[in-house]
Amino acid sequence: MSRPSAAWVAVLAIASAAAAQDRPTRSGPPAALDAPRGTPLSGATLDARTEEVGSLLRCPVCQGLSVADSPSTMARNMKAEVREKLAAGYDQEQIIAHFERSYGEFVRLEPRMRGVNLLVWLGPLAVLLGGGAIVAWLLKRSRPPAESDQAAERAGAPFLPSRDALPDDARLAAAVRRVRELAYGWPGGIPPKPPATSP
Amino acid sequence: MVPLAGRLLILLGLLAASAGSIVGFATGRRPSAAGWAWTRRFAYAFAAFMVLATLVMEYALLTHDFSVSYVAHVGSRSVPTWVTVVSLWSSLEGSILFWGLVMGIYVAVATYRNREAHPEYMPYAVGVWLACGAFFSFLLAGPAQPFATIPNPPVDGPGPNALLQNHYLMVMHPPFLYSGYVGMTIPFGLACAALLVGRLGHDFIRPLRNFLLLPWIFLTIAIVLGGWWAYEVLGWGGYWAWDPVENASFLPWLTATAALHSAILVERKGVLKAWTVTLVIASYLLTILGTFMTRSGVFNSVHSFTQSAIGPTILAFLGVALLFSVAALALRVDTLAPEGRLETGASRDAAFLVQNLLFVLFTFTVLLGTVFPLVVEAVRGAQMSVGRPYFDRLSVPIGVALLFVMGVGPALPWGRATGAQVRKALLPPLIGGAALLILGFLLGARNPWTLLALFFGGFTAQVTLAEIALPVRQRMRSRGEGLLEAIAQSQSRGRRRLGAYIVHAGALLAIVAIAVSSTTGTSKEIQLRRGESTTLGAYALTFVDADRFTEPHRESLVARLDVSKNGSRLGSLYPRMNQYESQREPIGTPAVRSSLTEDLYLSIHNIDVDSGSVGLLVLVNPMVSWIWIATAVMALGGLFALVPAFRAETALVRETGPTSMPAPEPQ
Amino acid sequence: MMPTPASSASPTRAPRVNRKVLVAGLVVVVPLIAILLLNLGRDPHSIRSPLIGRPAPPFSLAPVGGGSPISLESLRGRPVVVNFWATWCVPCFEEHAALVAAARTFKEAQFLGIVYEDDEARTKAFLAERGGAYPSLMDAEGKTAIAYGVFGVPETFFIDGQGRIVDKFVGPLSRGAIAELLGKAKGGAR
Repeated sequence: MSRPSAAWVAVLAIASAAAAQDRPTRSGPPAALDAPRGTPLSGATLDARTEEVGSLLRCPVCQGLSVADSPSTMARNMKAEVREKLAAGYDQEQIIAHFERSYGEFVRLEPRMRGVNLLVWLGPLAVLLGGGAIVAWLLKRSRPPAESDQAAERAGAPFLPSRDALPDDARLAAAVRRVRELAYGWPGGIPPKPPATSP
Repeated sequence: MVPLAGRLLILLGLLAASAGSIVGFATGRRPSAAGWAWTRRFAYAFAAFMVLATLVMEYALLTHDFSVSYVAHVGSRSVPTWVTVVSLWSSLEGSILFWGLVMGIYVAVATYRNREAHPEYMPYAVGVWLACGAFFSFLLAGPAQPFATIPNPPVDGPGPNALLQNHYLMVMHPPFLYSGYVGMTIPFGLACAALLVGRLGHDFIRPLRNFLLLPWIFLTIAIVLGGWWAYEVLGWGGYWAWDPVENASFLPWLTATAALHSAILVERKGVLKAWTVTLVIASYLLTILGTFMTRSGVFNSVHSFTQSAIGPTILAFLGVALLFSVAALALRVDTLAPEGRLETGASRDAAFLVQNLLFVLFTFTVLLGTVFPLVVEAVRGAQMSVGRPYFDRLSVPIGVALLFVMGVGPALPWGRATGAQVRKALLPPLIGGAALLILGFLLGARNPWTLLALFFGGFTAQVTLAEIALPVRQRMRSRGEGLLEAIAQSQSRGRRRLGAYIVHAGALLAIVAIAVSSTTGTSKEIQLRRGESTTLGAYALTFVDADRFTEPHRESLVARLDVSKNGSRLGSLYPRMNQYESQREPIGTPAVRSSLTEDLYLSIHNIDVDSGSVGLLVLVNPMVSWIWIATAVMALGGLFALVPAFRAETALVRETGPTSMPAPEPQ
Repeated sequence: MMPTPASSASPTRAPRVNRKVLVAGLVVVVPLIAILLLNLGRDPHSIRSPLIGRPAPPFSLAPVGGGSPISLESLRGRPVVVNFWATWCVPCFEEHAALVAAARTFKEAQFLGIVYEDDEARTKAFLAERGGAYPSLMDAEGKTAIAYGVFGVPETFFIDGQGRIVDKFVGPLSRGAIAELLGKAKGGAR
């Protein structure tokens, strides 16, 4: 796997993953609550969907909890209403719009995708792509290792000992080779020949 | 008398911090032994005054001196003594005094440990620390005076917030949180010193890293303790709601973790110096932002203290600190030039960069989501919410990606690796990944993200365990040591590395446990009369009785439920509803039966003792205990990496002498 | 292996500013501070009602103590004051006297109380003790409170003759406030 594509794979994976999760609530004017658009639910499906839709509604009297999670009376009343509406066949967007009409956008826990709200979704994506580009650029502009060793030696004070050099003392040299084996994974502590062409 | 003593001590603290800060910066510009000695004295003095002021406040609390405004605010004669002691940090002004205390201790310890080391950096560092200390002393002396007096002291007080009296965890969470939060001041000072001196040498990255690791450990514990508290006390069955104040504690943790990793690259290759400094500074500034978020009343949160005048003051400090940091970075970033080169290709360097990117992305996302309602209100005047669904949706892919990088990174070698080497390194852990994936699938996990997390978890687990075992295997092979001896030797020599991998093991366990517990699991809401039973999964619950208990500060209604699993009796659980005098809504205490595989969680919605009926929320949450265990593992790993590092520093200094060569490793 | 001590080369005193870092830093810092500053006086708990200017949600509820349900539609043509309250709510005691007095003074308007999260027996006892001048309605399951977007008590809605909500008042009312808002409701006859 070559350098930049590793970063790009990660970038694209996350971007598509975030998008691939079931789409957030659609944009558009709130649907009037006259006719149910979905099918009536019952039983375990009804319970499950009540939890799901409830988790998208904010309990107005609590601090940030969803209607599904909050134990307060108001939340339980709202949850019962959600359940009723689901059993009657209203779909998720209609139910959320119904509460939004009474409480405002505040009651929606996941921001609707329109206008300024798009920033909250696009912002992280922009940081991901921009950051990914920076990482790719940083990795690309590194010079091949052979050159950098010579450059370091020319600079006078190498930050770390170069990969080939061994101390004169034989016991010390053995210790250094063992360290390189452990740290870099080189068998016998001998660095592999760099595959690039010589400068 | 008492309030006067307290106010005087705070003023003296303010003076000591201000003077010490000025002397510190002056000594930094023009080094002198006398200047450094005085800087140290002022630092110790500041610490002493903060400690004494805190003791005075505790004395006032314990003697129920209601002439002190803070005591009148949170004190009460009818609460247990331990509640009185911990009410020091339960409310606004007291918690700032507590902040001052923790800061004083940190500054004193950090100054003492480095009193003879890094002479060009330390005066600047202490100067920065004391400047921060001066700000908080100013808060205590002015906008948030805990020792203000009341002309007509009441006979009794309302006691601290009822929620905080409900559980002993209140004792532990704030001290850990403050030790983490306030502790970020120390690496901030060191990073600023590096900028002001214009250099980040190899010798200086070590104290920077150590003093970043210490608060990191505290902050990790504190964040999870907060989650545990929410789980055990609030009764909604979850442990993290992405509440603004929860996010406030999480943000600096993210940047600090990123900084700890990029510091490794600084130490090994001398690259990413400016970036690491930026991350460390960001960690501190995020703690100040967090303090602002908690105390300003601007954010809608479970946690926020009431609105007060100190909001604008903290914002002003935050603004000044931000601008100072940007200016210092812009002016000095070029002096922190890298001394080495990043490796190209698939190498550990690349993994470090991707990891840093993911952490920064996470930080940005959480910060944006938390602040966004304010942005929208400013732009189009609408009041909207950004809640759990948003944060969960974005943090799941990031968490899973981090899990993946945590496995790939250590598997790749440090230097340039050939394709064959990469394949050899990355293929075997796939087996571990597949194994955990299949196991999870068989046990019922179906959510694709959970399955992915399990796969990466198995992958990373294999890599991490292999890395932990590597030095042991090497020693056994090359020296012929027995297993036990090899373990003992390698854990005493390679502690930093071992500690780091223990932390990774804990982190991967936490991520997998969170993934499993939040997507699998069942729940039920039911109304029961005396004697009635219900089942959930393998559990059968019988509502036996409800009772009333009266304590001086609260009345509790307790329900007894007998639990059996698969037919065999397990015992009884006692969820309760507590009614405090000061609150209208009662506060429930859930009853949780934890085991390694799952938690049985009972929370009361309504209870009537006279008619004998109870409305219950019953949850079965798998793998929650593993989250707490994983955090303990992470903290232990951090301590493991930290403790000998401090000892090693002094050992290193001692061995430097007239002889130029240290003794080689003994055989 | 001892690391060679870092050479103490004095840093070149470059007052030159790194533009990229400066711009990047300011781009992050300035908007953040601006947003926080702009929101300083904000009370996150006061949410504006989206119902103002819109038709009032209909309801038909039985009064406390029994009797035939009173519906909002039947009161079309007169201004209506709907006050959500509860016996456990301290500010509701405070405004009770003002509301009763206003109901007696402004006979052209219909005052209604809707009881929020409370039980009937307690409400009846409260009204018997304190006196009332207008019916209070029981809101089973809190549906009406939800429909009106109630966050807590006391909250009062002023509805004009056409059934449109002219304003919402959060907190205990005073006589002056009632008079002013009722004026708005009366004036909005269109």
